[in-house]
Amino acid sequence: MSLSVPDQIRAPGRRLVTAALAGAIAGGVAVAVFTIDGDFRTATEQVFSLGALAFGLGLLGWSGSVMAGTGIENMQRYMKTRSNWTEADSRRAMTRLIGFGLGVMLVASVSTVGL
Amino acid sequence: MISKRYIVKRLLLLIPVLLGVATLVFSILQLSPGNPARVIAGERASEAAVREIERRLGLNDPIWVQYGRFLWDLLHLDLGESYVYRRGQPVAGLLRWKFPITMELAVFGQLAGILFGIPIGIISAVKQDSLTDHLSRFGALTGISVPIFWSGPLLILLFSVTLGWFPTSTRIGSEYTAPQVTGLLTVDTLLLGQYEAFISAVHHLFLPSLVIGVYSMALISRMMRSSMLEVIRKDYIRTARAKGQGAKITLMKHGFRNALIPVVTVIGIQFGSLLGGAVLTETVFAIPGVGKLLVTVIQDGDYPVVQGIVLVFAVVFTLVNLLVDLTYSYLDPRIEQ
Repeated sequence: MSLSVPDQIRAPGRRLVTAALAGAIAGGVAVAVFTIDGDFRTATEQVFSLGALAFGLGLLGWSGSVMAGTGIENMQRYMKTRSNWTEADSRRAMTRLIGFGLGVMLVASVSTVGL
Repeated sequence: MISKRYIVKRLLLLIPVLLGVATLVFSILQLSPGNPARVIAGERASEAAVREIERRLGLNDPIWVQYGRFLWDLLHLDLGESYVYRRGQPVAGLLRWKFPITMELAVFGQLAGILFGIPIGIISAVKQDSLTDHLSRFGALTGISVPIFWSGPLLILLFSVTLGWFPTSTRIGSEYTAPQVTGLLTVDTLLLGQYEAFISAVHHLFLPSLVIGVYSMALISRMMRSSMLEVIRKDYIRTARAKGQGAKITLMKHGFRNALIPVVTVIGIQFGSLLGGAVLTETVFAIPGVGKLLVTVIQDGDYPVVQGIVLVFAVVFTLVNLLVDLTYSYLDPRIEQ
C-alpha cells in the first residue's frame, strides 16, 4: 500500500529536510572548528545556540510572512515598489532557515551524547 | 463581523511566534558572556561553591536538555527564579506587580498619541499646505526625531523644575498609599473610590506619558494626514459631496473610517516601541516598572529575570498586534480574505 503525501506538505517537507542536512553538515564543521579554539563542551553549546538563533529567526520570519505577507504584497503593489518580494518566496526562505537551524541544533545535541 | 476561523488561525500563529521568541531569547542569553553560577556565588566564592550552584541549577546538563527544560517550564508559565535581584523569588511573581506599572505608562502614552495624533493628522489633511499643516508637519518631524533620553529631562526641567506644574518622579503623591488591586494605579484608585488619589496618579503620569507618547503622536499624525489626503480624493467622497452631503459629515462618515486602516496598523506596531521606550522613560522619571527593572537586572546579570521580561514584552506585543489585526478586519472585512 503506497502512502500518498499531498504536495502542500511534500514540497515544504523536502525543503526542510534538505536545509536540515545542510545545517547538520555546517553544524558538524562548526563544532570541529570551535573545538580547536576551546573545549568540546563549550563548542557544542555555542554551535547549538547559533543553530537556535537561526531556528528562532526562521520561525518568527515564517509566522510573520504568513500573518502579514499578503498585506505587504498588496502594499508593495499599491506603492509600486517592484521589489519582487512575495509571501510564498519568504515562506520558502524561512522554511529553509528553520531547517538549517534545526540541523545545526540536532548535530550539536547528538555530539554531546556521552559527555 | 469577524469570522471564528480567522480568529482561530491568528491564535494558532501565536504558537510559532512565541516558540521563536523563546528560542531567540534562550540562544542570545546562552551566547552572552558570563556564568550565572558565578554571579550567584559572588566574585570571591570558591570554585567548589560555583560548581555546586551549577549542578543545582542544571547548568552542567547538555545544552539541549537545558533548552528542553526551558521550553517545558515556559509551557507551565514558570519563568524561573531570580538569581540576584530578589534571590530565589519566582520571576513571574516579580513581574506581577511591576508589569502593570509599565503597561499603564504605555497605554497612557498610546492614548496621548492617539488623542493628539489623529485630530492633528485630520486637520493637517483638511487644511493642506496651510500654516497649520506646516506647523503640524514640523511638530511631527521634531517628535519623530527627538529621543526620550533628551526630551524627558528637558520636559522635567521646564514643567517640573521651572514651572512646578508636574512632579519630577514617582507614581502618586506621598500623602496617598498606592492601593494594590490590579497594579494599575489609576484603575485601582477608581475601583476603591479614592478620587483624589486618582487625580494625583494621573497628575504624576501625565509627563512620562507625554514623553513616551510624543513619538507615537508624531507618527500617527503623519500617517493620518497622508491616509486622509488619499481618501478625500476618492470617487465615493466626491459622489457623497455631489449628492449634497455636508463636508464634515462626508469626511467623518466616509473618509475617517477608511483612512483609519493604515493608522491602526501603525498604532499596533508602535506599541512595541512604547514598551521599549518605557525602559528609558522609567529610568528618567524613576518609575519602578519593568523597564527600570530590566536595566537593573541586565547590569546584575540576572538572566531569568531578563528572559522573563523579554518574553512578557513579546507576548504583549504579539497580543496587541492580534487585536490590531482583528480591528483591521473589522474596519475592512475584505482583509479577512
